[in-house]
This record gives sequence, structure tokens and C-alpha cells, in this order.
Amino acid sequence: MTSFRKPVSVKGTLLALLLPAGILLMALAWLVHGLLLDRMSRQFVETRLEDEVAFLEHQIRDSNGQLDVLQTGDYFQEVFHHAFAIHSDSRTIISPETWAPLLMPLLESGQEGTLRVSDARIAEAPSDILAYRKSFRVNDQPIVVIVSEDLGALSRSQTELHAWTAVVSLLLILLLVGVLWLGINLSMRPVVSLKAALKRLQDGEISRIDVKAPEEFQPLVLQLNQLLDSLDQRLERSRDALANLSHSVKTPIAAVRQILEDTDRPLPNDLRQQMAGRLDDIDRQLEAEMRRSRFAGPQVGKSAYPLKQARDLLWMLGRLYPAISFEMSTVLTEERRWPIEEHDLNEVLGNLLDNAGKWSTRFVELGLNEDRQGFTITVEDDGPGIPPDALDTLGTRGLRLDEQTPGHGLGLAIVREITERYGGTLTFCSGSIGGLKATVHFPGTTGGIKQ
Amino acid sequence: MRLLLVEDDRLLADGLARQLEKAGFSVDSTFTAKEALMLAEQEDYRAVVLDLGLPDGNGLDVLRKWRMNRASFPVLILTARGDWQDKVNGLKAGADDYLAKPFQTEELIARLNAIIRRSEGRVHALVKAGNLELDENRQSLKLADGTEHSLTGTEFRLLRCLMSRPGHVFSKEQLMEQLYNLNDNPSENVIEAYIRRLRKLVGTDTISTRRGQGYLFNDLV
Repeated sequence: MTSFRKPVSVKGTLLALLLPAGILLMALAWLVHGLLLDRMSRQFVETRLEDEVAFLEHQIRDSNGQLDVLQTGDYFQEVFHHAFAIHSDSRTIISPETWAPLLMPLLESGQEGTLRVSDARIAEAPSDILAYRKSFRVNDQPIVVIVSEDLGALSRSQTELHAWTAVVSLLLILLLVGVLWLGINLSMRPVVSLKAALKRLQDGEISRIDVKAPEEFQPLVLQLNQLLDSLDQRLERSRDALANLSHSVKTPIAAVRQILEDTDRPLPNDLRQQMAGRLDDIDRQLEAEMRRSRFAGPQVGKSAYPLKQARDLLWMLGRLYPAISFEMSTVLTEERRWPIEEHDLNEVLGNLLDNAGKWSTRFVELGLNEDRQGFTITVEDDGPGIPPDALDTLGTRGLRLDEQTPGHGLGLAIVREITERYGGTLTFCSGSIGGLKATVHFPGTTGGIKQ
Repeated sequence: MRLLLVEDDRLLADGLARQLEKAGFSVDSTFTAKEALMLAEQEDYRAVVLDLGLPDGNGLDVLRKWRMNRASFPVLILTARGDWQDKVNGLKAGADDYLAKPFQTEELIARLNAIIRRSEGRVHALVKAGNLELDENRQSLKLADGTEHSLTGTEFRLLRCLMSRPGHVFSKEQLMEQLYNLNDNPSENVIEAYIRRLRKLVGTDTISTRRGQGYLFNDLV
């Protein structure tokens, strides 16, 4: 059974399964054919013998038991090809004569109906016979009639027929193997072309798989192409990010080095501050690009447990902002999964909550909900809120509403970017208690890779 | 105020030590996890600044060992990794605050002062009932199998209330007082939702319902 558990190839498995099954079924059919043939011919012979006995009886009755009047001789043998024996008190007729030693014991046996004699060793008589014996009385004279047939001849022709069937079966099996081979090869042809396409993909001859795959393989090809798309996009994004980064990092490094290398130059306070400012620039760029590069975006097979993650983050922020109570209201259960990559969800929740924590006076509430349209995260605080005309620009990168609460701009910008990558929306409004209320909505079907 | 600084970058450690001394701390510096463990055991520090990437081990493991030995000094973690999950892991390991590198020294000092102030007069406060342990400082729940679960504010207050008097029936109105809510008039459904969530953690039978009366903590389960 190991060959089924660990199929080496589809072709091999199919052959290994279908071929023995075909042969076995053929053999079974052949055996059944033999049995049926045997039974049918036996029954046929039996009824014929019975009919002939009835015919003989009729004749004997017509002649009032006068056996001499009967047209005997080789008549029966010629017409019916059967041996027979008629016995009355006065006379016994057995034809052909050579069968006498075989039939005499049957005449005397007294058994009625179908009789069978096998392995009789008598010269010039068959060894295997089937006989039908009937006794009756005509004019008070007991008469016994036996008609019998040589089974040897019958079984010989039967065996011949059976042998021919075997030959035909063998031919059929060969044909079956051929058809199986052809069928498997034909149905595997798309896989072969898929394999060739993959090879060409690997060699760089083509950039996407364009194969007319059968229905069963269509999703596979689609998925593979999507994967290639997202890989390409990721490569492009990381190249862009690195280019941006190196541009914005190398220049400040060069500036700072220049100043440090000049040993004659004194380091007054304003120069120190300028250098620190440059280093801060580097750090900001690095941080922003690194966080962006960590986004996964929608991916097949990635999901997160929102409740567990939210609980951890709420707990952590509760430790960091001891004066503020971080609460959660949700309809979700602990086991519920959302099709959002874990790290992405952490960034969304963490940044929204952290931002709310910075602004609130004593209370932040996180809401996790879902409906037919998708998944909704709301974060509301009881802080001062922001003026309505500033709501639209919130979460646009680089914008800081208040320099005293640092990081505000970047955090929300990250949330916006992740949300958009999932095809979702980030909106802000004034909360029920005057603070800011941020709402993130992810559409229910995050399948497909959106950019 | 004695302070232990565990940081393997000598340049950063020297600079930080100088700045911290200026701010009034008396600083012991070490570069390795091994020495940090030893020093914390021998000396009495008011606070620790701990870098996570140490040459001979992970700072989180050091922190876990301290907390396992009931070391109660507040710890501020320094790390270059600013992931949310890293922060959660750091606090779960027993840190009091978290600062991502690079940082401004003023912010470090402000945060240090904050965690020192918070830790003052802090005692190891545990509420025990049945086979559950509720850590008041860390707002976390320890189950019989040793696993620790973080609780949100209301979850913690509700459970503390119930565990404070095992077997006593608390009415929904009483429990409602433990609730902070944006809504001025929270409905009783809110309590039910919280109880459902708590039961997921502590086991269904541990919090019993008395129909029409309220809930009670069953410490005999």
C-alpha cells in the first residue's frame, strides 16, 4: 500500500491501480463464464435426457409394452446421439452394446431421476456419463428406461470453448492496457505542458505561465501567476524603498562625517544640534521605510486572531499609560480569525491605540466588529479631539498636528497605508464624548492581491 | 538613586552613563547578561535600563530570570526593534516601559522617573482564589497550569471584584460599577459579554450565574 500513500507519479499510480484491477476483473469474468457454461450445459443435457425418456415412455405405452415393436436399433443413437437402455421382465435392450456394463448397474440400482457415473473404467465406453432413469408400468409390466449421454465429449467441447474465451480475455486485457496507457497519457498532457512552462519560467524565457490548463489546474495556474505578480511588486517596492532610503540617508551621513573629519574645526553647540538633526532625519527615514517594508499586504493563507492580538496590545498600553483605561467591546469570539496578516493587524491596532492613548485623558475604547460587508475596527478616545477641518488631512504622512506628542503623523500614515493595501478605508470623526474616533474598515473579501 | 545600565555598545553606554549621572543617578554599567544577573542579585537598584541584544544572551531572558526571583525593581527596555509584538513580549517578560533606539536622553530620564515613581510603595500584590492568581501590578491572570493571561482594565476589575469574595453573589448593578464605558448608561448585556469573555479564560464553572441575582466566583471548582 505504500505506493498509494506515496505516489511517485500520477501515471504510475494510475497504472498500478488500474492494471491489476483490470486483470483481476477479467480473470473473474472468465471464471464466472466457465461456471455458468458448465451449469448451463448440464441443465440443457438433463432436460434433453428427460424429454427423450418421456418420448420413449410414450412409444412403449403406444406399443402396449411390446418392446420388440419399437423401432430400436441405432435409431436413438442416430437421431439423438444418446445411448439408451430399456428393461422389462422379458427383455433388456441396450444400445450401443458396448455401454452395457455401464448401464446395467444403473438399471438394477432402483434410483430414479438424474444419475451420474464418473471414473468408470470400461473398455469402449465413456468414463463419465450423465443418465436419466425412469421406471413405470405398462399393462402391469414394470419397465425401466435409461437415456444417457457421454459427458466426456461434452466437457471436451466445453473446455475448448473456455480456452477460446481465455484467449479473447487476454487479448482484451492487452487492449485495456493500451487504452489505459493512451488515456493516462492524454489526460496528463496538460501537466506535461505545465511542467515545460515551469521549466521555461525557471530559465527566464517567460515571465508568466500562459498555459491552456484544464479546469482542474486553472486555479493553480492563476494562483501561481498571482504569486509571481506579488513577488514582482514586492521586489519593485523594496527597490524603490532602498533607493529612497539611500538617497535620504547617505547625504546626511556625508555631512556629519565631513564635520567630524575636520579636526581643526571646533564643535560649537549649534553645529552639534545640526548634526543631531541630520541623524534624526536618518532615523526617521530608516524607521519609516523599515516599517513599510514589513507590511505584508493581503496574502493567501495568512490570518490573525484579532481578539488575542487586541487583548495583548490593550494590556501592554494599559501598562505604558497607567492613568488610562484601555477597554474593548467586541462581538467576536476568541477563536475568530480575520484574513489579515498578523503583523499588519498589529500595526493597525497598535498605532491606532497608541495614538488614542497619547491624546486621551483617561479612557480609550477599541471596538472589533464584523458583518457581511467586512471587518471594522474603531478606536475612540476621550481626549480633546481635533477640529473638523483637520479630519481629512489626518493620517497623511509627515503631518504632525502637535509636535509635543511625537510620532503621531507616522503611526496614522502607516495605518492608512496598510488599510489601503487591503482595499479598506480609514476614516476619522468626532467621537461621542468629544475625542477622536478612528474607523478602519476592511472589505469582507480580501481575496486577490490589490495594490 | 542607584541604577544598573546593561548595554553592550560601549560608546552608547559611556555616553548614557555620563548623562544619567548628570541627572542624579548613580550608575553601574555592565556589558554582559551574566554580569547583569549577578549585579542585580548582589546590589540594590532603584531601576534598571536593559538592552535586549547582549553578546552573551537575550535581555528578555535576563529579565525573566529577575522576575522569577521576585526582583521588583522597575525595568526599562532599550532595543533597536520597534515592533508591536516585541513591545508586547518585552512587557510580558516583566518590563515596565520600552524605549526604541535611538532616543533622546531627556525622554529616557523622564520615562525612568515615571516608572520609579510608579513602582514606589508597590508591593507584590496577589489576589488568590481557587487555583487562580491575579497579579494586581501586572494586571494579569495566572491559571492553575501556570499560563499567564493579560487582561484589559474592565476584565481585570470585574475578576478582582468577583475573586475578592469567593462564593458571594454580586448583582449586575454592583458589577456595573467596575465598568468604564463610553456609554453613560451601559446595558446589562455588557456585563454578560464580559462574563462570557472571562469564562473563556477561567473556565465556565468558575463563574456561576444565580438567575435574577447575579454572579459568583466559585473557588471550589
